[in-house]
Amino acid sequence: MRNPWAQTGNYRTSYEQDTTIFATYREIVSVGVLLVALVLLPQFLERSQVLTLNFILIYAIAVLGLNITTGYAGLISVGQAAFMGVGAYTVALAAPYLPFYLTIPLGAAVAAVFGAIVGIPSLRVKHLYLALATLAFQEIFVWSVGRMPALAQGASIPVEMRNFLGYEIGFRNHNHFWYYVILFTLVLMVIAWRNLLRGKYGRALVAVRDNDRAADAMGMDPGRTKLMAFALGALYAGVAGGLLAYFQRSVVIEEFTLAKSVGFLAMAIVGGLGTVVGSLLGPAFIEYLRLLMERFSEWIKGNQVIQQVIPPGVDVASALLPLSFGLVIVLFLMFEPRGLYNWWRLVRSYFRTWPFKY
Amino acid sequence: MSDFFQFLISGIAVGSIYALAALGFVLIYKSSRVINFAHGQLIAIGAFVAYALVAWLKLPIALALLTAVLATGLLGFVVERVFLKRLVGQPIISVIMVTIGLASVLDGLMYLTPFGSGNFSYPAFLPQEPLRLAGITVSYPQLLAVGFTALFLLLFGWFFQRSTLGISMRAVADDQMAAMSVGVSVEKVFALAWAVAGVTAASAGMVVGTVSGLNQDSLIAIGLAVFPAVILGGLDSIPGAVVGGITIGVLQNLAAGYLNRFVPGGGTELVIPFVVLLVVLWFKPHGLFGTEEIERV
Repeated sequence: MRNPWAQTGNYRTSYEQDTTIFATYREIVSVGVLLVALVLLPQFLERSQVLTLNFILIYAIAVLGLNITTGYAGLISVGQAAFMGVGAYTVALAAPYLPFYLTIPLGAAVAAVFGAIVGIPSLRVKHLYLALATLAFQEIFVWSVGRMPALAQGASIPVEMRNFLGYEIGFRNHNHFWYYVILFTLVLMVIAWRNLLRGKYGRALVAVRDNDRAADAMGMDPGRTKLMAFALGALYAGVAGGLLAYFQRSVVIEEFTLAKSVGFLAMAIVGGLGTVVGSLLGPAFIEYLRLLMERFSEWIKGNQVIQQVIPPGVDVASALLPLSFGLVIVLFLMFEPRGLYNWWRLVRSYFRTWPFKY
Repeated sequence: MSDFFQFLISGIAVGSIYALAALGFVLIYKSSRVINFAHGQLIAIGAFVAYALVAWLKLPIALALLTAVLATGLLGFVVERVFLKRLVGQPIISVIMVTIGLASVLDGLMYLTPFGSGNFSYPAFLPQEPLRLAGITVSYPQLLAVGFTALFLLLFGWFFQRSTLGISMRAVADDQMAAMSVGVSVEKVFALAWAVAGVTAASAGMVVGTVSGLNQDSLIAIGLAVFPAVILGGLDSIPGAVVGGITIGVLQNLAAGYLNRFVPGGGTELVIPFVVLLVVLWFKPHGLFGTEEIERV
């Protein structure tokens, strides 16, 4: 490794080098460039574009969590939106009394507790049964919130924050302010994610996913590991939910339904299970697909020629969204099960080994 | 007391529908270990195809029902051939997600027909006047639901005990490798399981249609209510599906009758199945009749 800056390929010679987060200097530089770009980005965008970006980053945090439960530990969770909701409602209840840097960790902690409770069946059963436990929690959560007077029976609860350390947050700079808060949180969560999962605990998760009996025989406690996976996944969801509550200035139950949970699973798969890059690409892809389809259906509604061809009673506009969403999931699983992350990996390895082709 | 029996009887009728839906679901799981999140869509499609045949093509009702059942069976078969077949040996999450994606695609396709929104009902072919017996009323569609379930149970019983195909399906469910080595075509069995699941789903859909009318959302919701039923009965047990389905139906009706007044907004019948699901998973995860898997490293 004479000139580490011009490194092409893998020249690691010791365990110390092998366990570094970044394999090459180029990776450090590219992550740095990405961060600077993300920090500067909102300066060039309109308010509505920042809004979309904020949603993507919030969803990225939730998907990171799902990538612990589902991506690493292999426990399918169809309740990520409900855990997000637990975080959001905790924040909504605590916001009048506490500042936001306390309410969000509180929401995360409460969500983690719920995650562990829902994960209890993982002590005895696997796979589908666990997916169904999260499904049950998802349905029970939505139903209960809709009937609790303390939670406005599912109607919106306002979450107000007008200034932060003397900085006024008004209509104009609301999206930008929260963009930076969300970005900062996301970076923290990514760093925690990486360090957590490449350590002893991450290995335990992978071992338990691949064969939990073998992991048991090697002295790991599969039950505890799975409970932790559920709790951690829910913790990330709780953080995302708390941020969403502040950013939207309100909490409504429609944000935390089964459809959202399924959406998160789709994001995780389209992005690439168990990867940081995938957790960013997946939400971006699905959200922009949704925007695109909404535009398209607006266009169809406005187009006289098409309107006359469509028989009455047929609702093309509301058909487009589920159709495209489902097709994307099915096609990705059939043809690129490793997700967008795999494309990113191919591009990266092309540049790393350039001018060679392997 | 007669209230209680009334709730019980209507619960059994609703539960029979769940049992029918759960049958197809268990069949797929038992033979191929696939959890089908698109079962509600199969139910809805079966019901709407029957409606289209009756209301638009003016087919006689029995013929329309039969055609719809066969068409949905064919759809199940095609789904297995096109999508699930490629995923044999893939991790469970891929398989589950494909069925979720399929559910979404089928939803979208239904919006492309006039059935996407709005309510429809079959032309009445059963007597409107309900039966009254010792203070308990039972409508004819409810009787039909129970009858249909009983009929399918008998058919399945015969099919699995006597016919070669049924026996080979049981063999595959028991041990895929062993079944393959004695010459059972596992592929054929998987596809057949999906076709039969489509048949039962369509039957369930049509029974719902006659009992409470056709509406896409409520038909698809039955696909979700199937999960508590099969977990309670045991994911891989056919008698379990029936017992689970009927129990869930009865519990729903009892909850609606006795608990709703204590809850603001009511609607306990919507959540009771999922509470049961969670409780069963906590205390008896393999259900009443499910087999506990023995694992070796």
